[in-house]
Amino acid sequence: MNRHSKKRLCFLGLSLIIPVILLAVFVVYPFWELIYMSFLEWDGVASIRPFIGGANYQQLFFKSPEFWLAFRNNLTYLLIHGLMMPLELVLAVVLSSRFKGANFVKAVIFLPFIINGVGISYSFSYFFSPVEGGFNYLLTKLGLGSLIKNWLSDPKIVNYVLSSVSIWRYMGFHIVLFMAGLASVPEDIMDAAIVDGANGWQRLRFIQIPAIRTVIDFMLFDVINGSLQMFDIPYIMTSGGPNGASNTFSIYTIDTAFKYNNFGLASSMAVIMIAMIVAVQMIQKYITSRIRRKEGHYA
Amino acid sequence: MKKRPYVLASGLALALAVTGCGGASSNSGGETTKAAQENVTPDQGEQEDGAKNNADRNISCTITLATWDVAASKTFDELDLEGRFQELYPNVTIDIEEFNAEPEYFNSMKIRSSASELPDLMFHKSDSMNQYKEYLVDLTDTAANKDNQIASEYAIDGKVYGIPDRKANDYVYYWTDLFDEAGVTVPETWEEFVQVSETLQQHFGANDPEFAAICMGAKDAWPTYPLMEYGPASESGDGYYWDYMTTEDAPFAKGTAIRTVYEKIFNLFQKGVLGADPLGVTYDQSRALFAKKKGAMVLNSPMFLTAYLADGYDPTGLETFYLPFRDSKDDAFNLVTQGDCFLTVTQHSENPEVAKAFLEFYFSDAWYPDYIASISSDSTMNSFPKELDPVLQTASKLQSDVSFVTYGAGESDFIRMVSETKFDCKELGVEMLTEGFNPDARFDELDAIWAEARSKLGL
Repeated sequence: MNRHSKKRLCFLGLSLIIPVILLAVFVVYPFWELIYMSFLEWDGVASIRPFIGGANYQQLFFKSPEFWLAFRNNLTYLLIHGLMMPLELVLAVVLSSRFKGANFVKAVIFLPFIINGVGISYSFSYFFSPVEGGFNYLLTKLGLGSLIKNWLSDPKIVNYVLSSVSIWRYMGFHIVLFMAGLASVPEDIMDAAIVDGANGWQRLRFIQIPAIRTVIDFMLFDVINGSLQMFDIPYIMTSGGPNGASNTFSIYTIDTAFKYNNFGLASSMAVIMIAMIVAVQMIQKYITSRIRRKEGHYA
Repeated sequence: MKKRPYVLASGLALALAVTGCGGASSNSGGETTKAAQENVTPDQGEQEDGAKNNADRNISCTITLATWDVAASKTFDELDLEGRFQELYPNVTIDIEEFNAEPEYFNSMKIRSSASELPDLMFHKSDSMNQYKEYLVDLTDTAANKDNQIASEYAIDGKVYGIPDRKANDYVYYWTDLFDEAGVTVPETWEEFVQVSETLQQHFGANDPEFAAICMGAKDAWPTYPLMEYGPASESGDGYYWDYMTTEDAPFAKGTAIRTVYEKIFNLFQKGVLGADPLGVTYDQSRALFAKKKGAMVLNSPMFLTAYLADGYDPTGLETFYLPFRDSKDDAFNLVTQGDCFLTVTQHSENPEVAKAFLEFYFSDAWYPDYIASISSDSTMNSFPKELDPVLQTASKLQSDVSFVTYGAGESDFIRMVSETKFDCKELGVEMLTEGFNPDARFDELDAIWAEARSKLGL
């Protein structure tokens, strides 16, 4: 090894050492601690932390209906966001076509995403309030007073109301991402398709969607991740209530740790959440790669 | 006096907790020096100006005091807490750590306890002291404890760890003109209370869909506590009812005090006297509704009155009565009373003697009388009795013959049971307000969970 190579190696080693230390201290060690804590019985305060093996995991899976309810609520967000994706794509296609005021419309649609999530949650909390709430006022003015419901206190509808707020917040972001992807589709291919007589649906199905597959993959990752970790909107608007009906995984984890003083159980929930996200990503990757291979085979 | 709002800090603490990460430092005083510590000279009980002089008067350090009570923190500023203490200890500065709400306060303290970073002095609730007892200094021998009316009732294993700076019982605040208009009088039994609530709801609710005979704000869950938390103690006459429950396998069985009172409360809720959507209204909203007379009654502590007046609302026509849980006028009128805001000294303090001296000062003539006069709650100190606000006095005039029941929020066994069963009486109140709640099935389920948890914990 000559002097130049040695220097290069030394430089590489030195420049990697800090990121590695940071990663070890702020990611690896806390994660290891989290896993370790999930096998302890600890109230978060006492100095004694008995090791109880997998009892926390056992309790979660077999003796915690609240855990499954929270999980189901997370899936509601995932389902509704997933259902909204095609609509977001269509809106992105419409907005990508040049028309007067397109930039203004784009800005308005993107605006909710840049507003603070806490602020949005508080605003909608008052919007759906039964006391001088804006939504009920609108319904009354439109002669639809009979449709008024207990928007945030009826367990049957509360998750859909909260999901709608989440949609309102993230829709603009998703549309802008789709638009960025659509902008990368070469215009000559689109023009050629038009000349060949392809209609709008065919252009979307056979040119635009395949071209923005990476964006769709990212969006799916974002939606899955965001839905499973949903916290601010339900926490501020309902605190997981009424009676846990809108609890999500994150709220339930925090309640378990701080309200019910069970840090061990809460840690096991955090580990499960990480495992779930990783598992879902792997499944998503497997499915998308299969689809790609299949399409490549027929192409 | 330095004041530090702890909103961001608690957020960070929460993040650290989730990642299981916490730093370790023994310095809780900030500017505390080793030299200062060495200057501490033990003294045997000498008391000057109400402050026990165990620490060197010239000591130079900063002591930290953490509180969740924003109103009290404001009072510390207005009444110059630091300046008054500096008349005794001129070189001691006081750093107030102010949290916006109780949950955030205790979340942060939990993280800090495991990192040995608790403040020198911190306020506690009666139940939280039990959890933190291993980090608290024994205050049994302090002059403040000896002069306090109720501190010893909250002793843990015979040791007093915190001195309550106030005591209070709950009241039903009501508008006299609304009562007059509806033709109802102050109830003396539970049945009368239900009847009065129903009459008010029917009278005013018929024309105003937002009206609630009882403004509860149950969206926040905690405002159900006068019923759900104090009910069992009042019904049984046992302030330590939660501890009693840890000795029973079926504490929710028919005929038990808790089952009886919860059935009464459920029946009250079924009458619709909490308005059209009680779970959709927050406590703040319910207070505003009450101020606008869109509600006739509010169940709360004297802190309600403090906050109500601080918000600039007019109390004209506002009076109080005690909530009657009793079934007959011949029964004793049990009134649950509780010490609150327990001042404690932590073992993480680098200057425990100064912290103790501060505690003695806090409950001395140099500070306490002015402080307790500025809040609505009652005094806990024998030497400094207090005349309550006229609004609160109306309750004792209406019902002077009461049996006080000192409330304990549950000792360590109960805390373990709560952790295991996730039993939360206030959330149960919310549950009772949700459609389809089946009390018999739920109480049976609670009994089953309770018995299993007792067996698991070996109680």
